[in-house]
Amino acid sequence: MATAKEFIDRVSQIDGVAGCVLLREDGQTLGFSLEDPDLYSPLMLLGGKVTQGIRDKMGFSYCRYLRFNREGKENFYLFAIDHFTLGVVQTRDCSVSEMLRGVMRLIGRVSTSSSQAKTESL
Amino acid sequence: MKQAIEELKAIPGVVGACLFGSQEGVLQCNLPGIFKPEKLTAVGQQLSRLLAAGRMSLNDMQDLSLHFDESVVIARELHKGLILFALCDPSFNHNLLTMSLNLLQDELREKVETPVVARSTDVTAPLADNSVESAAGVAASLSSVEYLKWKPLLTDALAKVMGPMAGIIVDEIYADWSQSQAQAAGLSTLLEMIRAEIDDGQKIATFDALIEPHLPS
Repeated sequence: MATAKEFIDRVSQIDGVAGCVLLREDGQTLGFSLEDPDLYSPLMLLGGKVTQGIRDKMGFSYCRYLRFNREGKENFYLFAIDHFTLGVVQTRDCSVSEMLRGVMRLIGRVSTSSSQAKTESL
Repeated sequence: MKQAIEELKAIPGVVGACLFGSQEGVLQCNLPGIFKPEKLTAVGQQLSRLLAAGRMSLNDMQDLSLHFDESVVIARELHKGLILFALCDPSFNHNLLTMSLNLLQDELREKVETPVVARSTDVTAPLADNSVESAAGVAASLSSVEYLKWKPLLTDALAKVMGPMAGIIVDEIYADWSQSQAQAAGLSTLLEMIRAEIDDGQKIATFDALIEPHLPS
């Protein structure tokens, strides 16, 4: 993965992904394919902190994702990638398990590469 | 509500649940004892914040779920200031839990909204009208009509110490009380059952201070 833009493009091409936004831990938006990324960024920042807080309190190890379930079924997901957070909006009537598998496979490929190189590229 | 969270626990994969009031802290919980109240309070506070933020950003948000390797935490705001979170195995039956939470939320909404209507039509304090209840009447059994006159006061007083669940708690205690022999002992027993439910000396004192002015001398 060379750039944040390429990463966003790759995530956006996964079946079931309506759009996504990539945020750095300081709150800076690095890339997006959603119409209104600013709507999601405060929630992403808080979501990351709360997930970490609950993980520490309850003694859990790793959080695969945080999901906001919506009546309209366009659920919003947060995935932690080192010092970044990826927010994904799913399309209605998609195969959620396939969409999740696709996103997590891509994240796994990013996360298992050199962390330093990845950070610099993002 | 205790029964409701016990029913949630019966769903395959649900380890337990916790009812949390933003003002009151942990109200009911059937999670394993390893999860200490202070931990659950901290988790409840974090989830309350996140649910509030989620509602602001996503106006049709129903609930949220955190998917950890070992467990899934589901959190939903049942009513303003009242959240329920459940701890589940990763293989839990999400659809069944969602359906149960929907039913629970509907039930809660109905129960919470009903007293508001009752209050608007019956604004007198229970014992302001001497014909309603006399000192002797306190010791006598309450009819359902008389209970309706008492309910707003009991609910308001209990809400100040136990939060928005008060209406439901009072109804449940009244149901237990009216079906048991305790009914023969009258209002004093009903109050005693409410105190037992509060189960906190300081909160009981506050509750008594709110109720006492309305009791016949």
